[in-house]
Amino acid sequence: MIPAQFDYLTPATLAEAVSLLGQHPDDAKILAGGHSLIPAMKLRLATPQILIDIGRIKDLAYIREDGGQIRIGATTTHFQIEASDRLREICPLLPECAAQIGDVQVRNKGTIGGSIAHSDPAGDWPAAIIALGAEIVAVGGGGERVIKADDFFVDMLTTALDQGEILREIRINIPSGRLGQAYLKVPQPASGFAVVGVAVNLTRDQSGKCNSASIGITGVASKAYRARAVEQALTGSALDDEATAAAATHATDGVSVNGDLYASDAYRRHLAQVYTRRAIEAAASRAK
Amino acid sequence: MKVEGTHELHASRDRVFTALIDPAVLQRCIPGCERLEKTGENAYSTTLRAGVGSIKGVFTGNVRLEDVQPPSHFRLIVDGKGQPGFLKGAGDINLDERDGVTVITYNGEVQVGGTIASVGQRMLQGAVKMMASQFFTAIEAEAKTEAHEPPPKHGFFRTTLRWLSGWLRRVLKGTVQPLK
Repeated sequence: MIPAQFDYLTPATLAEAVSLLGQHPDDAKILAGGHSLIPAMKLRLATPQILIDIGRIKDLAYIREDGGQIRIGATTTHFQIEASDRLREICPLLPECAAQIGDVQVRNKGTIGGSIAHSDPAGDWPAAIIALGAEIVAVGGGGERVIKADDFFVDMLTTALDQGEILREIRINIPSGRLGQAYLKVPQPASGFAVVGVAVNLTRDQSGKCNSASIGITGVASKAYRARAVEQALTGSALDDEATAAAATHATDGVSVNGDLYASDAYRRHLAQVYTRRAIEAAASRAK
Repeated sequence: MKVEGTHELHASRDRVFTALIDPAVLQRCIPGCERLEKTGENAYSTTLRAGVGSIKGVFTGNVRLEDVQPPSHFRLIVDGKGQPGFLKGAGDINLDERDGVTVITYNGEVQVGGTIASVGQRMLQGAVKMMASQFFTAIEAEAKTEAHEPPPKHGFFRTTLRWLSGWLRRVLKGTVQPLK
């Protein structure tokens, strides 16, 4: 449990961090909260030569509202999001998801930017980020660009971030209408990672029918994905028991489900359907 | 752990088979292969820098081909060890040709032990799938290259682009459903 030797750099600004990353494209890793990277380094499953710590950069941890959007800085901790009264009011999915990540220590140190950039196939944030249709702001040597959540998660531990880019901010349009959101998960009892995690973000119209639905699922496949077949089946439905149960059967349509010692692929597929149904029910009941 | 899958390659079966048993081609196509040396008839020793994302480890080991029946079948036997753990496995690889498309079916059993198995267990299956699709995409590019042409270059972006263009072609032909 002792990591291999590495150099540790502490840039004072994000521009400096980008420039350091540009100087060491192949052997440097960005360190934020360190709750995925450091355990991997202690087991020597990851052996970066250089760590660039962005955790000490001022003004990179924030929750703001700007131009109809929620903007969350990369090094904002899970706990800061969990504890935000304003988010609980305008986008309750974020604190609900944050509260279910790992344990207290992980939530106190781990960051939303680190979790998304790491793209663990069982991470909680990717599901919520996809369900909320978030935008991810990346900064690199060539300046900034905005990546849509649907395009961000490429494969297991692989994102659309280029080697020289750093995730700077997450932007979410402030949801409106008769809003119902929920995040439900089955945590792995030892690690706390999602065996299955389902994030639902829906709206109902005047008559109570489902106006729009956006659903992200994590833990099931090599990356978090958007359950479009469920969304299609749900949109326009009355969100009653029958429609919800029917829609949830599409939870793993077109997805290659992974199995492991704890949960076989068949069991995961089943869990995904059950938890999709429960998450839709919870979200629908909250849409007042 | 069971390892199985199917890949469709748009190249003739003979050429795919030749590529699959050519050590020079394999060295270019196996993700992270740093060394592949012949140690005997159909036997090789290899060094792999294998992994996914930031999780990587160096493995050294042996690869052996058995029951080679060109151009439709061979059996692959691998064993390797490295700092993150060890692996040992065997599998059958079958090639079928349908309308100019080579369909590769692989089916095997792999034992993985050490750190990678105890803490990385939940990601093993996904990692194997990801590396297999990178490998077969690279093999497809090799099998399409004419003998007198220089070998194609591989890399994450090229492989991803090839995968995307192949997928689009299949969607347009109606052989696979577009992602929903």
